[in-house]
Amino acid sequence: MMSLIKIWKILRHNTLTLLGAGLVILIVLMGLLSPLISPYDPNLMNIPARLQAPGWSHPFGTDEMGRDILTRVMYGARISITVGVSIVVIAAAVGCFFGSLSGYAGGKVDRGIMAVTDMVLSFPSMVLALALTAALGPGLFNTMLAVCIVRIPLYVRLMRGQVLALKEMQYVKASRTFGAGPVWVVARHIVPNCLTPLLVQMTLGVGDAILIASSMSFIGLGAQPPMPEWGAMISTARTYAIDQWWYAAFPGLFILMTVMGFNLLGDGIRDILDPRSVKN
Amino acid sequence: MEPILQVSHLSVSLPGKNGPAPILKDISFSLKQGEILGLVGESGSGKSMTAFAVNQLLPGGGKSITGGSVLFAGEELTGKTEKQMQTFRGKDIAMIFQEPMTCLNPVFTVKRQMTDVIMIHEKRSRKEAEIQAADMLKKVHIRDPERTLSCYPYELSGGMRQRVMIAIALSCSPRLLIADEPTTALDVTVQAQIIFLLQEACQESGTGIIFISHDLGVVSQLCSRIAVMYAGTMAETGPASEVLKAPGHPYTKALLAAVPRFTSGGVRDRLYAIPGMVPDPSEIQRGCLFAPRCPHAMDICRTEHPPIQNLGNQHQVSCFLEKGVSRGDGIS
Repeated sequence: MMSLIKIWKILRHNTLTLLGAGLVILIVLMGLLSPLISPYDPNLMNIPARLQAPGWSHPFGTDEMGRDILTRVMYGARISITVGVSIVVIAAAVGCFFGSLSGYAGGKVDRGIMAVTDMVLSFPSMVLALALTAALGPGLFNTMLAVCIVRIPLYVRLMRGQVLALKEMQYVKASRTFGAGPVWVVARHIVPNCLTPLLVQMTLGVGDAILIASSMSFIGLGAQPPMPEWGAMISTARTYAIDQWWYAAFPGLFILMTVMGFNLLGDGIRDILDPRSVKN
Repeated sequence: MEPILQVSHLSVSLPGKNGPAPILKDISFSLKQGEILGLVGESGSGKSMTAFAVNQLLPGGGKSITGGSVLFAGEELTGKTEKQMQTFRGKDIAMIFQEPMTCLNPVFTVKRQMTDVIMIHEKRSRKEAEIQAADMLKKVHIRDPERTLSCYPYELSGGMRQRVMIAIALSCSPRLLIADEPTTALDVTVQAQIIFLLQEACQESGTGIIFISHDLGVVSQLCSRIAVMYAGTMAETGPASEVLKAPGHPYTKALLAAVPRFTSGGVRDRLYAIPGMVPDPSEIQRGCLFAPRCPHAMDICRTEHPPIQNLGNQHQVSCFLEKGVSRGDGIS
């Protein structure tokens, strides 16, 4: 097993990955600890203190209801991370199942699965997610479902390609000559060799999913007010964008940081999982 | 002595462009315990397919075998289910391959891969399997087994990987080892060591070895019997010394002429190359398959399939020429 020390050794020389990991950890901690560390209640209205510029009592300023933006951004991290991670985990699980099936079985099964996949992929993902959410009805859960469906084909394609390539590898064939059955071959040889690209794709996918989910909230289909979702916050902030810059700027900054964090981390994970970089 | 492997009249077809294409036609040979059989022929002559047919690992599954039988220690392997075959593979019949660079799974250590195979076939704890793995590495003359066990495949050289593969193959003491061009990708000194290892395995545990190669030099060093394949047919079988000294089939003779030789001083002629190509199995052929390339071809060769002639001493040749071409000319 790879020890934490080894991971640290690799990370130490890779500033960008370190930055990405730092950002992700920061955002996750912020979300987890928000009830403990946030200065206010996220939904506490204080009309006299509405639209205040950043200052000592409200570091990120307040919104049109006088709610503290820092607190709302912290709580927003919970929503965004949960949304991003659950979309990716579900999409990857479903996608991997159908992808491996498609690659390993071949023939009619493969053609059927790939036809559906290609069909979904031929839509611009944002438009399809929009249409699906509109059909299902606005709301955070429906948005997640829609984004999830849009993302599944990516993993189907990825896994199918991996399985097709690995199936022909000499060591997969060799293991059959040593008496390994199909389940053993898939579990021992195919899945472990798919993990690197899969994990990289998943990490990059979290940032992407957060971005799409926020965009949906921004246009009013996702999280509904008063939920402190970043995209939804920016959406309300549109009205005040010219005079009260802080209202839209801070949630936007955190979307940027989160997405960037996951993207940098995703690039770094490849290096960590490569057995060549583990030794010494 | 009872042969460990008896392949008789084996025919295999694989799906091709114009329907099923015959890949192997009426292949027969046998292997005794502790014997090394060299299977030689050009690329595409069906050597590897024969190996996969013995293992029942043909691309199209069991239905690719259209006729004949494969008897392993008296047990018929054709028609066995995948599940039944899994108990033979690795345990009784092991195989090593041409490219040691890609035969090991890159994400696991050598230890993991060796113990996996041991644990599939023998009820051992992981600890016991590890000890056995280290023993096996010692047997293939790896100096520091513990260190090698903890290595990932990319940390090992080609020769080391091939040794590890041989160690895995021998770990369940198989009765039959199929070595599919195991030395082709290795340099000459390593090649010699690997050949020595195979010889040792054969002498010590009586493992029968099918050594597939297109290198007649290696085959002549290692094998006691030789089977020459051409385009999915068996051209000639016999004791190594006899086949090499007095080849009965024009193809064997041509192969021997195409082996590069060092000569002392002076300029050598160009290396002999057999004219033409191995025929495409999906095209229908009549007569002897070697006829289009054979300098001795007669009219009958182009219309009828040559019979199997016995030259004595279990030396058989499939040719119309009487007593083979050992003293004929045309190829030098």
